[in-house]
Amino acid sequence: MKKILIIIQREYITRVKRKSFIITTLLAPLGFFALISGSVLISTFSQGRTDVAVIDDSGLFKDVPLPDADDQTVYFHKINGNVEELSSELPKAEKEKRKYQAILYIPANFNINNPNNPVISYRYVERPGMMKKQFISDRMNDAVAKLRMKLLNINEEVQQQMEKKFQLDYSSLDNQSEKKGYTEAAGIAGMVMGFAIYISLFFYGTMIMKGVMEEKTNRIVEVLTSSVKPFQLLMGKIIGVGAVGLTQFILWIVLMAVVNLVAGIIFGAAIHSHSSSMGSMQGGGLDADDMQLLMKNLSSLPFTQIALLFPLYFLGGFLLYGSLFAAVGAAMGEDGDQQSLMIPITVPIIISIFIAINVINNPDSSLGFWGSIIPFTSPVVMSALLPFRPVWWQIALSILLLIGGFVLTTYIAARIYRVGILMYGKKITLKEMGKWIFART
Amino acid sequence: MRKAFLFLNIALTFAPMSLLSLQHIVKQYGNYRASDDVSFEIPKGKIFGLLGPNGAGKTTLIRMITRILYPDSGNILFNGEQLSDKHTENIGYMPEERGLYKKMKVGEHLIYLGRLKGLSQTQAKENVNDWLKKFEIETWFNKNIEELSKGMSQKVQFIATVLHNPDLLILDEPFSGLDPINSKLIEEEIRDMSRKGKTIIFSTHRMEQVEEICDEIVLVNKGKKILEGGVKELKQRFKENKFQISFNGEIKNGLLNNLNVVEQRAGEVTVKYSEEHRGNELLKLFVEHGMEVSSFNELLPSINEIFIRQVEAN
Repeated sequence: MKKILIIIQREYITRVKRKSFIITTLLAPLGFFALISGSVLISTFSQGRTDVAVIDDSGLFKDVPLPDADDQTVYFHKINGNVEELSSELPKAEKEKRKYQAILYIPANFNINNPNNPVISYRYVERPGMMKKQFISDRMNDAVAKLRMKLLNINEEVQQQMEKKFQLDYSSLDNQSEKKGYTEAAGIAGMVMGFAIYISLFFYGTMIMKGVMEEKTNRIVEVLTSSVKPFQLLMGKIIGVGAVGLTQFILWIVLMAVVNLVAGIIFGAAIHSHSSSMGSMQGGGLDADDMQLLMKNLSSLPFTQIALLFPLYFLGGFLLYGSLFAAVGAAMGEDGDQQSLMIPITVPIIISIFIAINVINNPDSSLGFWGSIIPFTSPVVMSALLPFRPVWWQIALSILLLIGGFVLTTYIAARIYRVGILMYGKKITLKEMGKWIFART
Repeated sequence: MRKAFLFLNIALTFAPMSLLSLQHIVKQYGNYRASDDVSFEIPKGKIFGLLGPNGAGKTTLIRMITRILYPDSGNILFNGEQLSDKHTENIGYMPEERGLYKKMKVGEHLIYLGRLKGLSQTQAKENVNDWLKKFEIETWFNKNIEELSKGMSQKVQFIATVLHNPDLLILDEPFSGLDPINSKLIEEEIRDMSRKGKTIIFSTHRMEQVEEICDEIVLVNKGKKILEGGVKELKQRFKENKFQISFNGEIKNGLLNNLNVVEQRAGEVTVKYSEEHRGNELLKLFVEHGMEVSSFNELLPSINEIFIRQVEAN
């Protein structure tokens, strides 16, 4: 045990001291920051302002309002003019002096009962992006609908009543704490946790594998195994790297909270208008009220349970896959070109994230149940499922199997590892690795 | 007083003379027998040569002694006790293929390896400083391993092997890659350790080193032990009764008539002599014939010759 501690210490300290560790730890939140600010900046500045000249030769839309966009990207100007003249004028004008960037033309013979023939046309000098196109189409559809109701003599009051949206109240019969909108909040939290485990399994698993390969390639392993058991070496490395991962995670959470705060202060207003404009554009997306509801529901997640179980699944998954990554590292040739040996490890991890995505939409499905029970998928799937409050015996069974699973994989991996690290100059196949499990040393 | 003496006597009688005793060691990989019923004793305080051609099974034997591998059958005793994990702290092993962590500093690396051998942090640091001072390389403590040349890292590896002051040192090709000056330095250290009562297993292909350094050897081939004994004793055992006589002037007529001449050159003749005629009689014969003998040597085979002959015969 003392020797494992010495190994853990070395694995931890040498990694944490490395420049690459410091750089990735600092850069990841900065990347997160860049992502937020980037998307905000792109949406505010790059979209620019589009002034649309609306020429209504049919005269039908004279009294129908065409509101401008909330995010100040599209403005409608009803003008009297000749569409052909304006169409030839606009491209000739200098970019800065151009009054309009597009013309929305409603032909004289526009038929409200058959709006597709003849069509309303949008002619532009500056190509509209997807969001703008969607926004303009929505506005025109609204306008046509309003016009139609007007022609049908439906008054304003009735119109408003017809447009009124309502929400279904979803609630769980056996759980009083699941309020309206809880499923969405649980889904977001589940996805974040599932992905966190998924990514860290790959990231730190590869770190373990590289560490093992390094020891094998530079041949220090023979000196080490003359002092400690291969199992101690294996455990020391896995736990050491795990501690590095945990450190990095904690630092990231702290840094991201800081970055989020800073970003919130700097871009707060912009983010708000960005999200509300997105909401209004997509119609039925998140608006400010939904956002508030989501926040409220996120705070009603079963935090104690998550705080206890999430680290447990993180640890279990890490131990289960970490030892397998180490075994593959031990079997790899010195050039590390036998990527195919990794397939049996990477496939179940990838499958588990697909199950997790599915589980978010169908938390009570049998796929979700089995995925949360089987040790190879349970770390990712169960983490995604935790906010949906799975029943206690499902969690208990899952944890028991996970413990059994990592004891088994660690045992198998240790047996492969102890043979592999001393094996040189031979291309190893999966079959050969299988033989090592039963080989004597 | 008498009782104490008796105890001492008993203790001395039962104290094992050999530090390491291998008894009927068998190790099999699939169909291949890397060690085939190998037994030998490694006496305390001696420099012991473990010899054999490539693939003879030397590394397998060493790995079983260092408990990296375990024999399928047979026993290994360390100081009379069954070899177990606790003994690994009393063994220093420098493998032929050796390496260090590139991203560590010399000092911290050595301390790490020392601690894995059971030293405390302070003790390890103290020993590292002593050894660096001994080799006059104190400034290396904060040097990165990746900055070291091959010879330099070899020195560091040697220190790592002896740092915990083990009773048994196993050195596999310790001189490979070393320049003559550093070879000499390491050789001195090996002799010094031996003088201090440490037992050393020395594995090499370079037979002239074996002759210079080793007290006893064992020769393995194809997993089997084919020869063992003291270096001097083996040379005697495999001698072919050849004498080389140098002289001044011409050879006298009839002198060589009854002798089995192996080689003859101007002023020198090599003779293989029969059982009944020992060295003294041969010298007498030359003197009686009035030859002026300038040197008279018995030709003993080199360990290299014995090695090649035995491996080929095997």
